[in-house]
Amino acid sequence: MTKIVLIKQQTPPAPTGSAGAAPTIALRKTCSPDGVGLSHYVLMDKKVAR
Amino acid sequence: MSAGAPARTHPDPTLTSLDIGHPVYAAILDPKTAFWALVDKGRVADTLAGGALRDAYRRHADACGRELHALRFELKPSGVYLNPTERCNLNCRYCYLPEAQRRSGGHMSADQLLASLGRLRDYFRSIMPQGRKARAIFHGAEPLMNRDAVFAAIEAFAGDFIFGVQTNGTLLDEAAVRFLTARNVSIGLSLDGPCADVTDATRRTWSGRSVHDRVLGAMSRLRGYDAWSVITTCTIENLPHLSAMVELFHAREVPTCMLNAVRCTLSGARAIRPDDRAMARAFFAALDRTHELYRESGRKLVVANFANILIAIRAPTARRLMCDISPCGAGRAFFALSADGSLYPCSEFIGLPRFDGGHLLADGGVEAALASDAFNAVSGRNVDTFSPCGECAIRHFCGSPCPAEAHEMGGRMGNTGAFCEFYREQVKYALRLIADGEADDYLWDGWDEGTETLFDLAH
Repeated sequence: MTKIVLIKQQTPPAPTGSAGAAPTIALRKTCSPDGVGLSHYVLMDKKVAR
Repeated sequence: MSAGAPARTHPDPTLTSLDIGHPVYAAILDPKTAFWALVDKGRVADTLAGGALRDAYRRHADACGRELHALRFELKPSGVYLNPTERCNLNCRYCYLPEAQRRSGGHMSADQLLASLGRLRDYFRSIMPQGRKARAIFHGAEPLMNRDAVFAAIEAFAGDFIFGVQTNGTLLDEAAVRFLTARNVSIGLSLDGPCADVTDATRRTWSGRSVHDRVLGAMSRLRGYDAWSVITTCTIENLPHLSAMVELFHAREVPTCMLNAVRCTLSGARAIRPDDRAMARAFFAALDRTHELYRESGRKLVVANFANILIAIRAPTARRLMCDISPCGAGRAFFALSADGSLYPCSEFIGLPRFDGGHLLADGGVEAALASDAFNAVSGRNVDTFSPCGECAIRHFCGSPCPAEAHEMGGRMGNTGAFCEFYREQVKYALRLIADGEADDYLWDGWDEGTETLFDLAH
């Protein structure tokens, strides 16, 4: 079972000489894994077959 | 399965960069943990040298490593692919099952199928959390060739499994659709072309007759149902038609499709294998077309195999397909039951006798198969341990599929699969969508329900 860690964080701006640098993007979500699909079959949306 | 302990992240993790072909952004990656960040291309060197992003990642690196280790090495099976017959009424050029079986093989009897499902129910009950059902998917050859047994099994075990059926669609008449949709059975079809000429190039009956219109008829009967999908197998025969393919699917309100590069496990498939670059061009053009259609209509057509790569990047544990992770799902997240009662790591291995893990109804059953050399050869294929994958920055987004293909093409497990460059390009395309804030357009609504944010670093 995946441990759930909830951290929402804004890191301080890095020192940079380039004024207009694009914002950094870094995201990771987590959940309990239950995928069993393979290339010959898929049910993407977990809700629809319940 | 060679797992070892979760990697303890070095206090100073090894980050690397990847040019994703975006005008503004490049990717920074820790390949070991599947960490990624998108940074201004002009700041790549500074970011690799140190700074706020590196410091922030260092605080989460162990959690990323533990999560990925659990996904790769600590799962127990929660699904089974059931092959109720060896026979198929079609003779597709790329099928991974041997021709002799498909042409004149045997059915599993209804009694044996019911006994098998009883055994499987008991096994899954013993390992799965209470209240969670295993998935049981009837699978090819063509399961509806043995329809009475399949429907009897679905009826008898409705309370024990979430069922699916992957079918060529040619036998999916009104009564079959009524039966399956009334029981919420997930249904997958196959169609290779937007018109009969293209479909006929790869998928025909043994006597050479077209089945294109029959599959369209099945699609019409499924319109409005939530849980269905269509697979297109991409070959040199239909590559120029992939955009027209998604237009057809969208017009017919297909909720989900897959545009799969042909699996090259058997030689027939290798003869119609597209070049990686041509595959990528046609595939991305089709993806772009789905996006245009979404913008025009407000209705999505999810291309599941690509969506899975997007999810593998954004939420590795939420992935639905288990081909694009190493070890893959075969013999650990799921396994397959052949029509003769033998267990295989995945349906892709049925027809390769050396991967027979033993009979389900024999002493030991599933547990013996999972521990067998046959299964371990597959579940032990670890992308970290062979070259060039072990040095690849995106190895935990692609997983170097597929072991059956790699083994049959190269004679050993430690080979890349057939479409290394295509996978690399898919990851770069996915990261470009994330950079542009468009990734959600390629996923079904609510894809991240049930997930938690592990981190969201932005500055």
